Amino acid sequence: MSTASFAAELENLAVIRRFAEETAQSLQANQAAIDDMLQAVDEAVTNIIVHGYAGRPGTIEVRVKRAGDSLIVRLRDQAPRFDPTTVPPPDLTLPLEKRRPGGLGVHLIRQFVDQVHYHTAPQGGNELTLVKKAF
Amino acid sequence: MNISASQAQGRVPVTILSIQGDLDGSNYQDLIAKAQELCQAGTRRLILDMTDLRFMSSSGIVALHSIALLMRGDQPPDPAQGWAAFHAVARDSAELQQHVKLLNPQPRVDRALEVAGLTFFEIHTDLATAVASF
Repeated sequence: MSTASFAAELENLAVIRRFAEETAQSLQANQAAIDDMLQAVDEAVTNIIVHGYAGRPGTIEVRVKRAGDSLIVRLRDQAPRFDPTTVPPPDLTLPLEKRRPGGLGVHLIRQFVDQVHYHTAPQGGNELTLVKKAF
Repeated sequence: MNISASQAQGRVPVTILSIQGDLDGSNYQDLIAKAQELCQAGTRRLILDMTDLRFMSSSGIVALHSIALLMRGDQPPDPAQGWAAFHAVARDSAELQQHVKLLNPQPRVDRALEVAGLTFFEIHTDLATAVASF
């Protein structure tokens, strides 16, 4: 298990992906699962920076660990409360102009990992946990 | 991410835009800006060389759509449109792929395209074939 904190800036996306990838590799997760997890982590972190902090300074704590046969990445932030698991899946039967904007990143997170859990963090803020079978 | 442009001549002139590194929320607007620059110089047919593109997020999907619209002569959409931009790609795919084709996306990027549903872009693995396809 490894944990690190990063400034919530788009310039740190690659740094956060590298931290998650190197930690997952050190845990011996399979690379295909790591690749999918990195896509989900990137979408989640981008949402936190762009929609959560929305230009305000802040930090994102990233924890990577193994639990059984799953790779788990937990993201904590202090941005205003946002639970991405409540974003409804897109209704592709609606005409374009009636679909709600945004939500692309959340949809992709669901596609790339097996489980997405949201909690309010014990010290306040948001805690998003991404789970992917990887061992 | 590094971007470099070169020219090729098939039946018509084609511009090749090579993308190296990672395409994400920190730099996708740089790629759109480069395409705008090419468009202003008269480019209408573009090959996006993804041979050395290691990672692409949904921001990259927005960039692909914006670039395809630019090459068609339209204005790029507001990136905040999200799903609207995403589904507009599908709606306009037949016409847009006449202007933008993809070259040699690596497995990680190919998987991102597939999961995002961007399977309708014409993909080539050979530059000469890609140029000749316009």
